[in-house]
Amino acid sequence: MSTDEPAPPLAPAPYGPAPYAPSAPPEGMQRQRLHPLTPLLESVRFLTAAAAAVGIQMFTSRNFLFAVYAAVAAAVVGGIASLIALQFRGFVIWGRELHIYGGVFTRSHRTVPLDRLQSVDLARPLRARVFGLAQLNIEVAGGDGTDARLAYLKHDRALELRAELLSIAGRPGAAPKLERAEESAAEAPAAPLVPPVTVRKLAVASLLEALPVQLTALLVFGTAFAVTGSIFGFTKVATALWFGFFAPALLGYLQSTVATVNRFLRNCRFRITRDGGNLLIERGLTDTSHETVPVDRVTAVSFDEPILWRRKDWRRVEVWTAAVAQQSTSVVKSTTALPVGGPAEVALVAAEAVPELPAAFAVERPPSRARWRMPLRWKRTGAMLDEKVFVVRHGWWVNTYVAVPYARIQSVRVVQGRLQRMQGLATVHAMTAGGLGHTAKAAHRDVGEAVAMAAELRRRADAAAALEAPRLS
Amino acid sequence: MNARAVPVWDLWPGGIEWQPMSPKLRTVWVLRSLLNVLILAVAAAVPLTIWLGWDGLLWALGGYVLLAGLRALAVSRTVRTWGYAEREQDLLVRHGLLTRRLSIVPYGRIQLIDLSAGPIERMFGLTTVQVRTAALGSNTEVPGLDPLVAAALRDRLAVRAAEVREGL
Repeated sequence: MSTDEPAPPLAPAPYGPAPYAPSAPPEGMQRQRLHPLTPLLESVRFLTAAAAAVGIQMFTSRNFLFAVYAAVAAAVVGGIASLIALQFRGFVIWGRELHIYGGVFTRSHRTVPLDRLQSVDLARPLRARVFGLAQLNIEVAGGDGTDARLAYLKHDRALELRAELLSIAGRPGAAPKLERAEESAAEAPAAPLVPPVTVRKLAVASLLEALPVQLTALLVFGTAFAVTGSIFGFTKVATALWFGFFAPALLGYLQSTVATVNRFLRNCRFRITRDGGNLLIERGLTDTSHETVPVDRVTAVSFDEPILWRRKDWRRVEVWTAAVAQQSTSVVKSTTALPVGGPAEVALVAAEAVPELPAAFAVERPPSRARWRMPLRWKRTGAMLDEKVFVVRHGWWVNTYVAVPYARIQSVRVVQGRLQRMQGLATVHAMTAGGLGHTAKAAHRDVGEAVAMAAELRRRADAAAALEAPRLS
Repeated sequence: MNARAVPVWDLWPGGIEWQPMSPKLRTVWVLRSLLNVLILAVAAAVPLTIWLGWDGLLWALGGYVLLAGLRALAVSRTVRTWGYAEREQDLLVRHGLLTRRLSIVPYGRIQLIDLSAGPIERMFGLTTVQVRTAALGSNTEVPGLDPLVAAALRDRLAVRAAEVREGL
């Protein structure tokens, strides 16, 4: 009963590499400027709102001179503000670090250690594209979730800078090849891994994917409307009340529809190429984006098959990396490596993402006594220890295979719920780096099999990790 | 039925030597659960007293004794299921009475080792070791260790983690 228990003694010496200590470039160092249109583009939403307000004012008061005054005032004030803002913004490449400066009232100075660079992605939102500009999103291993951003730069300048950053980071072969690929990409595209997905195929695929959701939603809303209508009558008041009552659900439905359309637009003109150790992905109709996926950091590959794609034998391939997971911990994201494709294309992309990864797996179903727990999904659930990857399959609405290379498994867990205990079942979790969505779950295996599977997973993970060179990030 | 009552960790091939937690852990957790139920009972006593008059206090007290007894029983049985084992390549932690969990953390993947001790734990001289890997959801705890045992475990884990470091 001693409250003053001495703290446990410290270990004799700290383990691991020396902590990273940032330095500052000298004061007089010439900063590189961002494009002069940057402040304008960043306040584009505000400007649109202001323009709309002025427009309304103009039409209601019939005073057209007001618009001219407003435009002149906006030009003068905006121009001066932009000039001031631009003085404080910029970036410096100093040694193996990138320093980004920003802010007028609250100054910010951000140091990006290029040694720990994960990827540099080129993004072109619509408003920047209009002026031929682009922005660079920079991801660093072990980042705090907010990624560094350089916006906006001229498109070719952004490409140059990206190559420069990658070459400083020491990605072998990244810089020269990248430049060549980008230069040729402007006119004649370098050979993509898979033939480009036609707009028609993508549209059909999106439609088929969204159709069940849409039909169900419309059916539910229709029945709800009919039922309330038959009870209260189809008066104006009742209808208005109905819409008020169902507004959240309707909003959610609208949102999901917009998301589907957005995804379709994002995946248009999809191109994936292999460049050294990276997969380069370019896509987008209105907003083009370039993404870089380092192949040696792929933690899992998943193959999605929405319910209506089954007859066509189409799949979508998603690639998961730890870098993507670090971007935001709440929303787990992956990179689409193929929006839609037949078996041959899927196999090609899969083999590029993880060497020698097959695209078809003969997974083993859970024992039939687990069937009543998932009557629809049971047939489409399973797990398998492949030669190099751990594969699990799950889902009825969207059936998914998740393949995790053994070398990427962080920890293994066997969980047995109370119902499972009565049935002699258990679930095996194999976790990879990143958020909760990065867990491969083999549900409802026989207890003995589950434990043996966990032991085998651990053995194979060690064997696979031993073959790789250790790295810290 | 009997074969299925065997905890999942006892089926591990080859058998494992489980290290038990400190015997004081049971006391600590029973105390903690009694405190938690007490808070609940106090919160329930106010409306009960308003509703039933002074009889309400008796009801709250009776409810407290019943609930606390059941809870203490459950907790003291749960404590017995906790255990950890250090193997050649990994750390195994088992726990759970109704839902059984067996976590396996390879030394090479350990990113962070924390020692922590709450106020009640400190009173009884206990420490919790937390092991984290790069997977965000996998936060493995080894509660109720003697501070010296905990520090020794921490040091052993750190040494092993530095020896067999594997990447993400």
